Amino acid sequence: MKPKKLIITIILFIVFDLMLFWVISNWSNLKVFPSIISSFYSKEYCSCYFVVGQDEDYCHNFARQWIPISDFKLDLENKKVSVSGLGRTNSAIFLDEKNGCVLQELN
Amino acid sequence: MNQRYLISILLLLACNKPAIELKPYGDSIKVSELKKIQRDYWPTQAWKSASPESLGMNTDKLQEMEKYSFTLTGNDEDRLGIRTDSVVIIYKGKLVYEKYAREYKKDQKHLLWSVAKSYINTLVGIAVRDGLMKLDDFAYEYVPELSVTEEHKKITINHLLTMTSGLDGREGYESNPMNSTVIAMLYTKGRSNMGAYCSSLPIIAEPGKRVYYSSCDTNILSLALQNVYGKEKYLELPNKELFNILGIRDLTWEKDGSDVYVGSSYIYSKPTDVAKFAFLYLNNGYWNGKKILPDGWVTQARTPSEGYKTTKYYPGLEKNNYTAQWYANTGVPDAGIPKPMPDIPSDTFFGSGHWGQRVFIIPSLDLIVVRFADDRKKEDFSDNDFLKPIVESVQ
Repeated sequence: MKPKKLIITIILFIVFDLMLFWVISNWSNLKVFPSIISSFYSKEYCSCYFVVGQDEDYCHNFARQWIPISDFKLDLENKKVSVSGLGRTNSAIFLDEKNGCVLQELN
Repeated sequence: MNQRYLISILLLLACNKPAIELKPYGDSIKVSELKKIQRDYWPTQAWKSASPESLGMNTDKLQEMEKYSFTLTGNDEDRLGIRTDSVVIIYKGKLVYEKYAREYKKDQKHLLWSVAKSYINTLVGIAVRDGLMKLDDFAYEYVPELSVTEEHKKITINHLLTMTSGLDGREGYESNPMNSTVIAMLYTKGRSNMGAYCSSLPIIAEPGKRVYYSSCDTNILSLALQNVYGKEKYLELPNKELFNILGIRDLTWEKDGSDVYVGSSYIYSKPTDVAKFAFLYLNNGYWNGKKILPDGWVTQARTPSEGYKTTKYYPGLEKNNYTAQWYANTGVPDAGIPKPMPDIPSDTFFGSGHWGQRVFIIPSLDLIVVRFADDRKKEDFSDNDFLKPIVESVQ
């Protein structure tokens, strides 16, 4: 192997190892990261709409983040907001005026 | 090559240099006890209104504040600039100014975000008043989840109140969501039991020695209260011991998956009701002759955390004068930390929440100012520039 190729191979190996180390050490955070978008959106939309009483347009603008969501469902009958994004779906449900909204089990 | 290497190292060192030089200091800041103010009524039913002119206020100055607060300075659809939703001013116990904007109307609740932390200060104060817990008690006695290591067991109730638990909380929101413990606590792995999740964080500083603002510390306190009172009594606690007495009838306090109040963030309340809560503190913890908070409690809420003595510099430290779930405007002069709001009286203390939520109490002027907003960039709005004309209007 030529010296130049050898250096590149070593550098790539080191970079790969560093990335692997970073992924392993941050695994618990990485694992739940995709849920942030849908959890945040569903919880904040739910409270904005049912607790504060703002309209749908306002609450979408309030809850949106820089990563767009892929699906949104407002279930008025069950007072439930479900949001999908980054491959995960999460829901928040409105309990009552005193207790507001709560996220359902983590997806 | 060597020269470039040296320059890089020097640049790196320069970037890490603290913005201020912290100095060790001896005595704590002494904040004098608030003087009792005689009130001709209490706003339990409702605030009595008065015109600013009738109380000698300069209305030109109020207009100046109004122009600063309510003029949209950015594109609202892009959520840029100053985006004030409401301002309420109570002067000498009277409602002298209220204005609502954007989609907000009078009598509509607003999310308080971290202003909620100050309400946890009150609930802990009530538990202390009733002899159910003491500030020096070890927190693990009330939160078994905090028995992770011997170091965790050293955390006291007072450490949690004054943001000096030493737990590795990371308070970033939008800036670094993946490593943020507050995001994990509110939305992902912590949401089923926030206090328990927070208790599991590693210790990175000796408890009591390092001030670091962390929502986790507040939610461990909230969990401690649930264990002190028992689930049923705890759920009744805010209404029974606080809101019913103050006449706050329409307030939402959301809970985590274990029925623990999210003390760090999730209260929804009307601005005039938040002003009532502030009025309790302005009156040194008394409401219409009834003692709600124990002796010295409000003084502690106005005194910067003891932990500043031993806190090493980290970026942003100088922006806060954290007390006990409140902020002070005293500065920490001996430590080289300036007043956060240079044009505002030093005795000002305040609750402060994400995206511009504020409740300011200025005892020397008998003044309360509540401001709700949706400022997505904190640098767009200046507390000092907002409050300055209000302070000048009464001087």
